[in-house]
Amino acid sequence: MNLDFSSMPQYTQLFINGIIMTIELTLISVAIGAVLGLIVALMKMSSVKVISFIGSAYVEIIRGTPLLVQILIIYNGLPQFGIKFPGFVVGIIALSMNSAGYVAEIIRSGIQAVDPGQMEASRSLGMSHSMAMRYVIIPQAIKNILPALGNEFVVMLKESSIVSVIGFADLTRQAEIISSVTYRAFEPLIIIAAIYFIMTLVFSRLLSKFERRLRSGDTR
Amino acid sequence: MIRVDNLHKNFGNLEVLKGVSLEVKKGEVLVIIGPSGSGKSTILRCINLLEEPTKGDIYIEGEKINDKKADINKIRQKVGMVFQHFNLFPNMTAIDNITLAPVKVKKIDKKDAEDIAINLLKKVGLEDKRDSYPVKLSGGQKQRLAIARALAMQPDVMLFDEPTSALDPEMVKEVLNVMKELANEGMTMIVVTHEMGFAREVADRVIFVDDGMIVEEGTPKEVFENPKNPRTKEFFSKIL
Repeated sequence: MNLDFSSMPQYTQLFINGIIMTIELTLISVAIGAVLGLIVALMKMSSVKVISFIGSAYVEIIRGTPLLVQILIIYNGLPQFGIKFPGFVVGIIALSMNSAGYVAEIIRSGIQAVDPGQMEASRSLGMSHSMAMRYVIIPQAIKNILPALGNEFVVMLKESSIVSVIGFADLTRQAEIISSVTYRAFEPLIIIAAIYFIMTLVFSRLLSKFERRLRSGDTR
Repeated sequence: MIRVDNLHKNFGNLEVLKGVSLEVKKGEVLVIIGPSGSGKSTILRCINLLEEPTKGDIYIEGEKINDKKADINKIRQKVGMVFQHFNLFPNMTAIDNITLAPVKVKKIDKKDAEDIAINLLKKVGLEDKRDSYPVKLSGGQKQRLAIARALAMQPDVMLFDEPTSALDPEMVKEVLNVMKELANEGMTMIVVTHEMGFAREVADRVIFVDDGMIVEEGTPKEVFENPKNPRTKEFFSKIL
């Protein structure tokens, strides 16, 4: 076994590019996923059966199929029908849609965890359903939702590595590029593993700090 | 003022209310008593449509409320409700709990709503708690705040759903006193309670509900001292 990291420092810039790309992709995808997820969650909770069915079906399909397959469908499958996106856009679409499925469940359970008495009290004061949601339920649900949304971000940070298969220049892809130039596979991979580990560790720590602050500000 | 006609309510196959009819006049205090599970709370919850009646009609000031065309949000503004478990908004201070609905629903100016709220806080003896969050309040204080919150909408009638059942015994009185004061001011009230002392003292009329039906009805004196129905007698023998 010969380990040789000496050729690695010259590729520092590539690693950094990869890190930036991975964080960017994750942030954008979770942000879009959160908005989509909110819509899907509201659809799922709708009293109109058709709408609630569409919401539920979306969540089930997204969670019931592999992310890799979802990406390949968008990247390799859709062009067959003339729908073609650049790799970067495919990465964002696939991860956002995937994230939305999980975020929808986070939001739905966050809202449903609010005591039903809160809705009753609001309605008994003459508020409409949407008013009660907006002024009473959602502000309380956010406290349940934000920490889980943070977790989703950390999970996505790692899961996003899968976009490297379609040539997306994320951190994992950079390792592949470097190993194809240096003929060394282990070193770049172990480096990005360490980078992923440190990133998730840092974000998790930040999250739990944030979560503690949420709780201490909790007035319940 | 309130008329309930042949009210039925089913939850699935369970028939909770089996034809309840009652009437409450303006300024009257009606107390509903009865064993748990008899349907007392369901009657109240139907009156502001937190539960939808399966059959029967409910009129508030002549307007049929369980009608597709009725504006339920408008009707609920006239009907205040106090819950067993308070249901205060935990993320808001006492004063914000009170002003939220007047400001958002009635579009009252924030400043005016606060003036109303401060007066109400005084009325229920919580003027020093205006900026406290519900978690900092005792059970009795919470319920008094909940009463103030309901009163801020200036309702024509107040519904009380076992308002003292979740309280420690020493806090029951402070809540009942606020309710008594309200009754003395001429507020129309329907109260579901297990507080027989309150019923005797404050009620204009008492109804005894058992198994989804009104079994006995009369003045407190009639119902408590001279119950006619054997089920009423049995109930009193258990609790008094």
